Amino acid sequence: MKTTPRRLLAGTVALTTALLAAACGGDDAGRQAASNELTMMVPLFGTAPDPKGEVHQAVEKVVGKKLKITWVPNAEYGDKTNVVLASDEIPQVMVVQGKTAAFVQAAQAGAFWELTDRLDKYPNLKAKSEQAELNASINGKVFGIYRVRPLLRSAVLYRKDWLDKLDLKVPETVDELYEVAKAFTEKDPDGNGKKDTYGLIIPKWPTPVFCSSSPYNVIETWFGAPNCYGDRGGRLTPTFDTEEFYTANRWLKKMVDEGLVNPDFATLDSAKWNDPFYQGKGGIIIDVNVRASQMYGLLKEQDPENYGDKLAMGGNLKRSDGQKFSQPFDGYNGFLAVSKQSVRTEAELDDVLKALDRLATKEGQTLLANGIEGRNFKLENGFDVPVNDDDPAVKTINNDVDFAFIQLGTWATIGMGVYEQMPTNEAERENLRIRKELVELDLQTAVHNPALPIVSPTYVSKGAVLDPIVSDARVKYLAGEITEEQLRAEVKRWHESGGDQVVTEINDLHAELGGD
Amino acid sequence: MATDLAKPPVQAAPSEPGRASGRVPFRTALRRYRWLYLMLVPGLVYFAVFKYLPMYGLTIAFQDFVPFLGYSGSEWVGFKHFEALFTGPDFGRLMFNTLFLAVLTVLFVFPAPIVVALMLNELRVSVLKRSIQSLIYIPHFLSWAIVASLTYLLLAVDFGVIARFVHDLVGGPKVDYVAQPDWFRPIIIVQTLWKATGWGTIIYLAALAGVNPNLYEAARMDGAGRWRQFWHITLPTIRPTIVVMAILTSGNLLDASFEQIWLMTNSLNRSVADVFDTYVYYIGITQGAFSYSTAVGLFKGVAGALLIFGSNWLAKRLGQRGLF
Repeated sequence: MKTTPRRLLAGTVALTTALLAAACGGDDAGRQAASNELTMMVPLFGTAPDPKGEVHQAVEKVVGKKLKITWVPNAEYGDKTNVVLASDEIPQVMVVQGKTAAFVQAAQAGAFWELTDRLDKYPNLKAKSEQAELNASINGKVFGIYRVRPLLRSAVLYRKDWLDKLDLKVPETVDELYEVAKAFTEKDPDGNGKKDTYGLIIPKWPTPVFCSSSPYNVIETWFGAPNCYGDRGGRLTPTFDTEEFYTANRWLKKMVDEGLVNPDFATLDSAKWNDPFYQGKGGIIIDVNVRASQMYGLLKEQDPENYGDKLAMGGNLKRSDGQKFSQPFDGYNGFLAVSKQSVRTEAELDDVLKALDRLATKEGQTLLANGIEGRNFKLENGFDVPVNDDDPAVKTINNDVDFAFIQLGTWATIGMGVYEQMPTNEAERENLRIRKELVELDLQTAVHNPALPIVSPTYVSKGAVLDPIVSDARVKYLAGEITEEQLRAEVKRWHESGGDQVVTEINDLHAELGGD
Repeated sequence: MATDLAKPPVQAAPSEPGRASGRVPFRTALRRYRWLYLMLVPGLVYFAVFKYLPMYGLTIAFQDFVPFLGYSGSEWVGFKHFEALFTGPDFGRLMFNTLFLAVLTVLFVFPAPIVVALMLNELRVSVLKRSIQSLIYIPHFLSWAIVASLTYLLLAVDFGVIARFVHDLVGGPKVDYVAQPDWFRPIIIVQTLWKATGWGTIIYLAALAGVNPNLYEAARMDGAGRWRQFWHITLPTIRPTIVVMAILTSGNLLDASFEQIWLMTNSLNRSVADVFDTYVYYIGITQGAFSYSTAVGLFKGVAGALLIFGSNWLAKRLGQRGLF
């Protein structure tokens, strides 16, 4: 084809314009929302709900405003939060998943409304637990409406069929756990005549952050080490500065050395944590109790008849001298923060908080966590009984609720504050009952972390460098790559690289808070 | 094509020194080749908008940048972050790991496509040649996530095919390859070789296709064997390509492949796995230390630029045509 210069020129200009447009576009999206509109950014675990969908419409009705929700897949929520904080398009209400360095810096620079003492005016936003609200704060300053989580979730899952076959019972002490793990490894619990099983399953922990409720943290707590920070002689001390920390890891190392733990504990993808359990390679998981529901689902796929007999649950364990220390959780999981940039005046703030208050009514929270009564569930003796699950429209409702809108729940979440789903299977119902009993029991011995509300400036700037020092050294010690002496040396290195400053600041800030 | 487009301004043959015709004033050139210059505009705009403008953001390396306060509101702190980097506990390790991987890349990854291309070039059955070529560049299209999963499947201590083979059949020790620091670099290099070699051969095969067959004929007449022909004809003709590729590679030497390394890192091998790129991601994006990680990235960029200029200078010193 013959191309004339003029035509070339036209093409060039068109291309250039397109490039420029691409470079400069997207400027006026998300400008100041009208007052009858509420903009939000919320994590998403499935596909984004349709704004015309039943649930979205129902939520809008409760809130009394038009909702513009930016749903962000959970896996990239942290990155996206940082990017949004850097832009000038912060939504009015943002689900913040934790006190990350970026959030703390932004909050301290004035990006979000401080809500301390402000929430009491709103009957449904008033904190139900002052401890949880304090835990979610930055040095006592509240920057959001916390999203409640059970205060205790730690539990141990066992292969019940293996316990039964070897005539063992659910352990109550760490010594019994060791015996069970040993029997699971050596006594052929699956009866295939081969020594191809092991006891405890530990995955590669996805974050090198030291305090992260990993199985390691839980075991250390059982042995009496502080839960991250604890009062030792009047001073808040990090867990790895106590002897209990070393006792716990010596115990775990013995298990690793004897092959009672999965050999790939440093590399097993945490998304595949369930696999060895339901595939019958390993028999013990130390994690949150709600993992049981997930596991029942997987076991059911394999053996719909007898899956109920394959899972047993135990609580936190006593150490050898009979003393019990349980691992609690923070009591919250992130919070809803209100942007100062898009909510400019006190009057606007009041308007937004009133809307959130309506969302936090019993009606609103039920909608977020259960769905629409009569559409996807009905109430029976105070329990949520799913209905019409075959209807595609109802399936959409379930998805919108379970994988999206429940993230906006503030005092209601799975297993708390809302109608609970009653499992159809007898074993699962029994498990649910035991779960509740164990939670009540273990809460009595929970070791709380007094440093939760405290954000140390040095930790904000250096935490990323500091955290892996000890968490990596611990894994190396367990794998037998370094000795206990070297582990202690790494802890010392943590202190020298800035850890000392972190500890001092945490103690100072704790004193300022009037901590006990 | 219009006639004035048929004469591209730069058409110097590789051996010819300098430009073909005498110097033309720029204005005259601009008028004469206006359509060509116009066609250059989109490219220039692209580079200006996407490569040069964003460099403004490098200023945050000299600030205590808080996203909410923006470029103008954040506090200026001079070289604080560079000081922290150079005196910090991680710098030596990062530098060593990055350089070590770079050296291994130069030694193993860079020559591999040349060797394979030369070997393919000697194949006379063209069907075989083409099918081998297609087969070996397929891995290029797999993402690193897939390559990493494959590696885990092959090497996992419990069920990995290779791990089991070494242990059960050969009677070797039971090694957790993916967790051993000693095995980290070999795995990375082998992965890269597997994924990139085939793709890399394309450019060399193109260069080889350009060798004038008359030269071979003449050499055969003079009694040159296969080896002589290879040494005196094939290699010298593709040498400029090799040099250009070497200069280009040198600029990327410090860009250890982020995704690949990130996926292969765990607590046990982090000490040898951490390189500048993974460190920048971890510290900057996941922990929100934007200023510090920008300082690290800027340092890496400057070092990469120095490497390009250095190797270009070296190439010219050695009597080769440089890149610029």
